[in-house]
Amino acid sequence: MDASLLIIIAGALFVIYAIIQYNRLVRLNVQVDEAFSQIEVQLKRRADLIPNLVETVKGYASHEREALEKVVQARAASTTASTVPAIAAADGALTNALRGLLAVAEAYPDLKASSNFLQLQEELATTENKVSFSRQLYNETVRSLNTAVKTIPTSFFVGLAKVGAREFYEVDDPSARNAPNVKF
Amino acid sequence: MANFRALQSANRRKTFFLLFFMGVLVWFIAYIAIASFGGSGVGVIPLAVLISLVSVWSSYYASDRLVLRMTRARIIQESDNPKLFNLVNEVCIASGLPMPKVAIVNDPAPNAFATGRDPNHALIAFTTGLLESMDRDELQGVVAHEMAHVANRDTLVSAVAATTAGIVALISDILMRMLWFGGGRNRDHGGNQMPIFLAIIPLILAPIAATMLKAAVSRKRESLADATAVAFTRNPAGLRAALEVLARDNTVVQARSSAVAHMYIESPLDASAASKLFATHPPIQERIATLRKMEANPEITQ
Repeated sequence: MDASLLIIIAGALFVIYAIIQYNRLVRLNVQVDEAFSQIEVQLKRRADLIPNLVETVKGYASHEREALEKVVQARAASTTASTVPAIAAADGALTNALRGLLAVAEAYPDLKASSNFLQLQEELATTENKVSFSRQLYNETVRSLNTAVKTIPTSFFVGLAKVGAREFYEVDDPSARNAPNVKF
Repeated sequence: MANFRALQSANRRKTFFLLFFMGVLVWFIAYIAIASFGGSGVGVIPLAVLISLVSVWSSYYASDRLVLRMTRARIIQESDNPKLFNLVNEVCIASGLPMPKVAIVNDPAPNAFATGRDPNHALIAFTTGLLESMDRDELQGVVAHEMAHVANRDTLVSAVAATTAGIVALISDILMRMLWFGGGRNRDHGGNQMPIFLAIIPLILAPIAATMLKAAVSRKRESLADATAVAFTRNPAGLRAALEVLARDNTVVQARSSAVAHMYIESPLDASAASKLFATHPPIQERIATLRKMEANPEITQ
């Protein structure tokens, strides 16, 4: 009688414990998904800004064809990428292309003084920061999930929760990842 | 050591110990009350606890509204200052916090503060002087510092500290009055009571110790907020430059009061007015030096 009661209590405690670990893994996995959709939202925002930027720069510096082409191509590539590494690579390429275009724009005082460009500059600065912060948040959540997947006790429940380690969002250009406060 | 994660956990640990000591101090003063005042001392304790709890927690619950009134801050909409909203939005993304209410204080002295009982009722405010004197990176550092207070639940932490300090102060105060106005009724009761004059020194020292511990908690939360801000932006240089702007500035916030001093990013009171032990903020040069160490260390981004 006493022994069976103990077994029931131990069993119930184990089930509660398993539920907590299972929920933790599932919650972390959902957080990774949420963080990734935040990256996508911000990438979309940036992609939407680019046609306006390209038009504005063309108005003052139409012969800077190379820098403009790079941005347009990088934007096109970023809209077709689908896997995490591909999206990250396209994102990094677009960041670099944009930086190149803005470096070119430095040589055109009329462009820099135009109200349209000034407004775009703030929009680009904040969007670039938002992209970079959402990458950072995503990588933080992936780090928590991957740690949970690999460490005891959560690692015992990986199969049950059908959750596995996820890929980091790695942008090629190290400065794009480490310095979110690029002057745009 | 100059890593924001290490700094965050060190400051969290120190806060825990300080709050623990404040709890011990409450027990100590309650012991003095019972040991030297007997029955009437016992009655004082629930009274002090009740008064302190009610006064601190009602202001904690309404902190966002109360502080708005005390500092004459005005809540603004996105259209009033799109750039500031962009900056706040960026830090929200970095921290995963919900968008707080944003307010402006019409004051030429650069300063900022955060309040609100939880992240869903958070309010962050900036003086017009701060918005005018800082560039984008510096403002981002300040926004991140304020959002760090929200993330670390510092309104809650300071409410806990204020409650314990309040209990100690109230018990000491009431007992001192009892001593003064012939509360010596219990003087001749039992043989196991401690002589009443022995109680005077702890009654004077305990509230001072509680005030110092409360200030120490506040200083640790400031250091923690600096470290957490770096965790959000990964850019110690922005906050460091902002603190340098604050250090250079000698205008003083007009609507200042010691009741809200602990909330600001930099103490709005005159530095000379408070000695180091009672200061609510760590010395600004020390904060700048810590951030510089983080800048020098490339590991901070990991």
